[in-house]
Amino acid sequence: MAVKNFGQGTRCRPSRRHIGTLVSLLSVAGCGLHQSALNPAGRDATSISTLFWVMLAGAVVLWLLVNGAFFYMSRVRPGQFDQRYARHILIGGGIVLPVVVLTTLLVWGLSILPDPRRPGDGLVVRITGEQWWWRVEYWPEGAEDPILSANELRLPAGERTEIRLTSARVIHSFWVPALGGKMDMFPGRETMISLAPEKPGSYRGQCAEFCGASHAWMAFSAVVMDPGAFDTWLAAEAADATPPQDEAAVRGADLFLSEGCGACHTIRGTDAAGLVGPDLTHVGSRQTIGAGRLPATLDDIRLWLDHTEALKPEVKMPTYDLSPTELDDLAQYLEGLK
Amino acid sequence: MAERQPTRDEDKREFAEEQASLFRITLAPLVWAIHFVVCYGLVAVTCAKEWDIVAVRTGLLIFSACALAGIGWVGFAAWKQWNVAETGDFVNRGGRAEDRHHFLGHAAFLLSVISVVGVVFVSLPLIMIGGCQ
Amino acid sequence: MTHPSGLPEPEGPYPPTDEMLAEPVPRDVQEAQARRLRAAWETPKGWRYITAVNNTEVGKWYCLTALVFMLLAGVMALIIRLQLAVPENDFVSADRFNQLFTMHGSAMMFLFAVPMFEAVSILLLPGMLGARDMPFPRLSAFGYWCFLIGGIFVIGSIFFDAAPRAGWFMYPPLATEDEGPGSDIWLLGLSFIEVASIAAAVELIVGTLKCRPPGMRVNLMPLYAWYVLVVGGMILFAFPPLIAGDFLFELERSFDWPFFDPTRGGDPMLWQHLFWIFGHPEVYIIFLPSIAIAAMVIPTVARRPIYGYSWIVLSAVGTGFLSFGLWVHHMFTTGLPSISLGFFSAASEAVVIPTGIQIFAFLATLMAGRVKMTLPMLWISGALAIFTMGGLTGVMLALAPFDFQAHDTYFIVAHLHYTLFGGMVFPVIAGVYYFFPFIQKRMMSERLGKWAFWLTFSGFNLCFLPMHLTGLWGMPRRVYTYPTGLGWDWLNLISTVGAFIIAAGFAAFVWDLIRPKHRQSQIPRNPWEAGTLEWTHDVPEESWGVRSIPHVTTRYPLWDQPDMQARIDAGRYYLPDAKEGKRETLVTSVIDAEPVQVQRVTGPTWITLWAAFFTGGAFIFPTFHWYPPAIVSGALAICCIIWWLWTATAQVPEADSKDAGLGLRLPTYAAGPASVGWWAMWITMLGDATAFASLVFGFFFYWTASPDFPPEGALHPDAGLVALAALGFAVTWSSTVGARWLNRRGQVGAARAGLILAPLAAAGAAAALVGSVMHLDPESHVYPAILWALAIWVAVHSGAGIIMQLYCLAGSLFGKLTPRYDADIWNVSLFWHFVTISALVTCAVVGLMPGAL
Repeated sequence: MAVKNFGQGTRCRPSRRHIGTLVSLLSVAGCGLHQSALNPAGRDATSISTLFWVMLAGAVVLWLLVNGAFFYMSRVRPGQFDQRYARHILIGGGIVLPVVVLTTLLVWGLSILPDPRRPGDGLVVRITGEQWWWRVEYWPEGAEDPILSANELRLPAGERTEIRLTSARVIHSFWVPALGGKMDMFPGRETMISLAPEKPGSYRGQCAEFCGASHAWMAFSAVVMDPGAFDTWLAAEAADATPPQDEAAVRGADLFLSEGCGACHTIRGTDAAGLVGPDLTHVGSRQTIGAGRLPATLDDIRLWLDHTEALKPEVKMPTYDLSPTELDDLAQYLEGLK
Repeated sequence: MAERQPTRDEDKREFAEEQASLFRITLAPLVWAIHFVVCYGLVAVTCAKEWDIVAVRTGLLIFSACALAGIGWVGFAAWKQWNVAETGDFVNRGGRAEDRHHFLGHAAFLLSVISVVGVVFVSLPLIMIGGCQ
Repeated sequence: MTHPSGLPEPEGPYPPTDEMLAEPVPRDVQEAQARRLRAAWETPKGWRYITAVNNTEVGKWYCLTALVFMLLAGVMALIIRLQLAVPENDFVSADRFNQLFTMHGSAMMFLFAVPMFEAVSILLLPGMLGARDMPFPRLSAFGYWCFLIGGIFVIGSIFFDAAPRAGWFMYPPLATEDEGPGSDIWLLGLSFIEVASIAAAVELIVGTLKCRPPGMRVNLMPLYAWYVLVVGGMILFAFPPLIAGDFLFELERSFDWPFFDPTRGGDPMLWQHLFWIFGHPEVYIIFLPSIAIAAMVIPTVARRPIYGYSWIVLSAVGTGFLSFGLWVHHMFTTGLPSISLGFFSAASEAVVIPTGIQIFAFLATLMAGRVKMTLPMLWISGALAIFTMGGLTGVMLALAPFDFQAHDTYFIVAHLHYTLFGGMVFPVIAGVYYFFPFIQKRMMSERLGKWAFWLTFSGFNLCFLPMHLTGLWGMPRRVYTYPTGLGWDWLNLISTVGAFIIAAGFAAFVWDLIRPKHRQSQIPRNPWEAGTLEWTHDVPEESWGVRSIPHVTTRYPLWDQPDMQARIDAGRYYLPDAKEGKRETLVTSVIDAEPVQVQRVTGPTWITLWAAFFTGGAFIFPTFHWYPPAIVSGALAICCIIWWLWTATAQVPEADSKDAGLGLRLPTYAAGPASVGWWAMWITMLGDATAFASLVFGFFFYWTASPDFPPEGALHPDAGLVALAALGFAVTWSSTVGARWLNRRGQVGAARAGLILAPLAAAGAAAALVGSVMHLDPESHVYPAILWALAIWVAVHSGAGIIMQLYCLAGSLFGKLTPRYDADIWNVSLFWHFVTISALVTCAVVGLMPGAL
């Protein structure tokens, strides 16, 4: 996959739109910021960041004017001014200026307000928030059954995809800053947001509503792909698991079943069909493990299995008491589930 | 009370008038509040029960116009009560009953200006945003 | 038509003429008067000091307690910042961190910001209004003790690792399903404090409306009093929705009634609405009184009256109203319809205008005046620099699309701290420096003050300015740690350093505040050369508040009425004496402040302490599900309160009227709308009605939000019993009001009969109402649960009403309530007006709605 390598920036270029020392400095520093609202890669995120830069410029000017005036009045020239000026400043600064500025901003804001809930172009993704991971279902246009996945969202570039959100137990919030705003996920209710990613790449999303002990570790990667690549990937994702055949991995597969992992996890094409935890059918092809907790490398999968509770406090998955070789085997198996 | 003793009736009348003008201070923002609550409540129910949002928007815009007219009327009455054109007093800091009377007019007038802005702002979404999504 | 009670009207010359005021008071008379006043107002000594109820003592305790809670919450913030200093830190555990940030927010809001407003106002308001004390000193003391007990209980839980940990907003289902007592501690402990807050708000409103000095018409009130009025009103309408929410929430926690459980028809969104209907006005409840301090400091600094007095009044009142139309901007990302978001976006922008006017009025005042920079003004300037920044980011966040990105990120953390530091912390500290000489008759240190300012100011910006960027780069709030590699590391480290610099600034400030100052020289009486009444205070301190209550005809009497100070000191004005040895203050009319009554105010007592102690028990025991002791505590609390009221309020005076000075004779007793007690009842019941309205809102919210409300085939309340209840409430109401009417006409026997019938009817009605829902199972679905909640609400109010009716009956039997002295029954019938309305609304909802929906 072209866009693997979680944790490395894929886009490192100064913003062309905004020239200025501060801005370009931020953009350079912003290199590698996969979770930044100021490095937009989607249509909605772009229009919001434009709005922000304009408001920021205005805010800086207004702040300097008001506080400059206070400083001038109290330090530079503390003497009396003509009463006339006082009245002008009260009416002009207190009523006229704010009404003009705020009306302009409000009209702008209202004009882009409904965008993130525009209907999608066909593909629908349903995401359910769990404590503390994401259940993901892809519903291509006209599909009867979903393609199940977890903890990673892949989207085709150049299309608007509808994301339908709900939650199992508590409130979460779905958010990929580089692509657009956030939307809360409620138990017993469905909310909707649509995303229109433009630049292929890998971005980080994170739960934004406090949801308990490991709220900090409820993340995922959002991978934007060229439409063709996306279709290929989706077809692969729909297929059953193709377990790795090397010796250690085979031992790992047995261990997976004998330790009872299948009670919670599904690996399609095997006896593991649990629904409590994330679907692991293609876990080895994902960028992260533990809902964005660690990169999905062999070492980190092993680390995850060995220190689950420490890495993710109060998580439901127990930390298994396995020997080092058993851990190696199990990690080998999972990493091989491409 | 000995000296300038108004009769009981006069007292009562004046008191009633001032009660009214104390109330008038809050009248314009109260219209704003009612307008706001009606807009919010009706749109919430309309969207939840899938009533006709277009009709509701139109109705609410007419209602907004009425609210603006109401605030305008309150503001005009307050302007007259303030009576700055005649007294030339923008400050109303004297200790006489008239000063208090003018002051309450002034405050009510300024509040109706704010309330007009408030109602116009709150009506903007009705114009600019189409459906419930 | 109300039959006159036969109490005398005010008699004598008013307003006083210049000749009357110019006449000197003989020296020996002055001294004798001062002696008697001093004796009447003496603060209890030794261990009895805690029985004091005087506003100056209670106000000081209140302020110091709030300060201590604030410092504790500040230490929690430092631990939070240490944990976040570097990525993947394990300084504290996730669970501990969640307790810390929950408690930091809760304590800063409920134990510091709101109580601080009340504390400062109780301390300062009587001085600004030339009043001797608040109208109900024992109520202030009771409120303080409740606050202290509740505050220690809530904040103490963090030391036992049992603190609430679902965030200060307590969103269900996370908070309802949370195990352990944390959520209950939050709900019950803070409800307890909220009740005390409302009590203080009632007192402050009545104080501002009815205890102004003669002549101080509404256009002459100090701006601080205007703000108190507005903020008091806001508390009255903002806190009750939260109390209603707490009520539902605790019913769910304790009895599993599914108000917020979506699997049984409940809806977590209802809590969000109720919480933020409270939560956003709350922000302005914190901000307005602090800006009011600035409105007192700035004219002094500019050495001229405030420019645009009416504009500032407009700004306060306008903000008060608009602030109730903003709550959904905390819920922009909950998927509400776009038009609805638009309304709240619009209102959130609109509220900027009055806030801006306020700031520009200050600017205009400085322009038109001759500025003399002082230390308090330095803090005010810092406040403005910070607050304008918070305001500008507020304008950004009010636009829903921007909020979609910024919501629940560190951008919000930065924004809210900018508004709260600029809008509350800095102005309050300015106020401490400005009013310290008024409170302690000593000055604070100029040098330490500057150190404290520059440390806090620079530390603050170092801590919170980078957070804007941290948030926009994607860091969410309330995470106990974060991974490296997202650009957040160095920003967080800078913030942590800044936090410790703020702490250093606070250390300097607190040291300046508490360091012994006995060796410092006595201050001049008006050290800042201010123009408002509080600076007529006595140096050295006297506990009588004001020697004689002046006649005020200007906004800045110390600038514009040059003879006033001498005349106050000479006892030339009103109430210069305490002939009967009783504590008294002057009650005046609402709009024009004409003197109408001499009000006896209550003195030191233990009973408020006991009442607070047992009330605390009634709230705290249920946290651990110890219901029997809770019930015993509640009963004892009621006994204490009845004893307190019986022995100290609406006492039959020894004479109908007395000389109030300057030839004016004023009545010493008032009933109905003329009395402060009636006003207090009216205002309290407005708040109570708001809470009830919130419950009814809940009912209709469920109907709007869910298609199966009431669910198919649900059992409905027994219509016959509901009708019987409605009838019973009508009977109890008419017997109560009838008893008042008959009593005034001298038909005491008939009135007593009415007061016997009334509680019987009320008990029957309440029983019928509860009986009508008895067969419904509140655990099964939210529909029966909300009906039960409404019935319980009305039944509990009826219970209180029955106690009041019996209190009046006892009063009538033991001579406390007579045809002439009938204040109690006026207040009780007012209570019943409200209860009857809510009972009838409940009957309509319970009995008629199932058919109508």
